[in-house]
Amino acid sequence: MLELGTLFENIYLWGENLFTQWGVPLFWLELLGMLIVAAIILAFMSLSVLFMVWWERKVSGHMQSRFGPMRTGWHGWLQTIIDAIKLILKEDTTPEKADKAGYFFAPLIVFVSAFMAYVCIPFGKGLIVKDLNIGILYIMAITTFTVIGLLAAGWCSNNKFSVLGGLRSAAQIISYEIPLTLSVLGVVLLTQSLSMQSIVNSQKHIWEWYIFRQPLGFLIYIVAAIAEINRVPFDIPEAEQELVAGFNVEYSGIKFAMFFFAEYGNLFLVSAIATTLFLGGWNGPLLPSWVWFFIKSFFLVFVIMWFRWTFPRLRVDQLMGFAWKFLLPLAFINLILTGLLA
Amino acid sequence: MNIIKRTFDGIYNLLKGMKVTLRYFFKPAITLQYPKEKWTMPERSRGMVGLLSDPETGKLNCTACLICMRNCPVRAIQITQKKDEEGKRVPDEFTIEAGLCIYCGICEESCPFNAIKMIPKYEFSTFDKKQLTHKKERLAEIGRGFKYNKWS
Repeated sequence: MLELGTLFENIYLWGENLFTQWGVPLFWLELLGMLIVAAIILAFMSLSVLFMVWWERKVSGHMQSRFGPMRTGWHGWLQTIIDAIKLILKEDTTPEKADKAGYFFAPLIVFVSAFMAYVCIPFGKGLIVKDLNIGILYIMAITTFTVIGLLAAGWCSNNKFSVLGGLRSAAQIISYEIPLTLSVLGVVLLTQSLSMQSIVNSQKHIWEWYIFRQPLGFLIYIVAAIAEINRVPFDIPEAEQELVAGFNVEYSGIKFAMFFFAEYGNLFLVSAIATTLFLGGWNGPLLPSWVWFFIKSFFLVFVIMWFRWTFPRLRVDQLMGFAWKFLLPLAFINLILTGLLA
Repeated sequence: MNIIKRTFDGIYNLLKGMKVTLRYFFKPAITLQYPKEKWTMPERSRGMVGLLSDPETGKLNCTACLICMRNCPVRAIQITQKKDEEGKRVPDEFTIEAGLCIYCGICEESCPFNAIKMIPKYEFSTFDKKQLTHKKERLAEIGRGFKYNKWS
C-alpha cells in the first residue's frame, strides 16, 4: 500500500490511457516520463545532499562535544538551505589565466557523472528508473568520468595547488577503481547477473545478504569507495592543510556548489550501492521497501561520516602502497576464493 | 604471517578509535549557547566597576578621598570633590573610563569605605566608545543590588 513503485506504475498506466484516448503517440509520454523522473531524481538528490551536509555538521559537532549549527531553525536545520542560497547568489568568478572552456565544463562533468549513476539505483520495489541488464557495470563506468572532471578542474584553473589536487585525485581514483570493481565482481559471480534488480532479488532473507557471504568483499568495497569519493582518511586530493582545497581552489559560487553537490551525491551513491550489493537492498520486514533502503543507506552514510571524524589522513605514499600492495592482492584473493567456493 | 598480524592489529586499533568517537557522539555537548544560556559568575569575579550606596538612605558610600584615583595604574578614575549640605565631603563628578580599566581590582582593595566595588556583571559592550565613560549615576546603577558576601 505504501509502496511508491506501484504508485508510479499506476500513474504511468493512467497516462498511457489518456494518451491513447487523445491519439498522441506514446513516444511523447516516454519523453515526458523521462523528464519528470529526471526532475524527481534531481529533487531527491538535492534534498538528500542538503540533509547530509547538515547531518555531517551535526555528527562532527557531537563527536567533538559541541552542537554544530543551532541558530537557524530547530537545531539549525535551515543552515544548509541558507548556505546553498548564498552559494547560488554569489559572484561566479573565472580566473584570468584559466582555460575558459575546461574551467566551465569540469564541474558539469563531475556533477553529471554523479547524477547519471542514480539511474540504476533500486530505491524500492519497482522503484528503479531503468533496470539495465548491465546495471552495476554501468554505474562503475559512469562514475569513472568523475576523474576527467576533477583533472580538468585542476588543470584548467591554472593554479599550482589545484593541479596538484587534480593529479592526486586522478592517481587515487584510478588506483582504487581496481579493488572496488574486483570486490563488486565477487557479488556478481554469486548472483550471475549484472542487473541491480536481480542482485537485490537474490538476497531476500537476511542470511542471504552478501555481507555474510562476502565479508571481505564488503570491507574492500567500503574502503575503496571512501577513497573513490575523496573522503577522510583518503582525502589527499583536498587536504586542507597542504593544498588549501585541492582541485576546486579557484571555484566559487554555483560551480563550487556543483562540486560540493557531486561530492555528497557520490557519498549517498556509494552507500546506496553498498546497500544494494551487500545489505540486501530494499528487502526487509514490515516497513515499505523504500524505507528499508533509506534506513540502510543512511546508516552507511553515517558510518562513513564516523570514519571521517575518527581517522587521521594517510600520506600519499601510504595511500598508493595501500591500494596496490594490500587492497589489490586482497581483492584478488577474495575473487579467487569466491570463484572456487561458489 | 607478520602482515596478517599487523592487519588485525590495525583493524583493532581503528575500531578502538571509533568506539571513542561514538562514546563522545552520545555524550551531551559542553557548549554553552551564550546569549540564551549564561554562566552564573563566581562571587569574587571582577567585572564592571560600580559604586555602592547605603541601602537605607540611598546615598553613595564614597567620601571622595581620592585613594582609588591615585592608586589606579591606568588613570581610569577621575573624581572631583564637593561638600554637601551637611558639610560632608562627597564626590561631585565620579568618572570611570571602562575602556581603560584593566580589572586589576586595586581601587576596590584600597577603598577604606567599601564604596567602589568590582561587580560580577560583564556585558557592557557598546556601539559607541563614548558610552564607555561611566558617570556617577551609571556607576551607582551598576552597584545597585550588589549582595555582600563573605569576600566583600
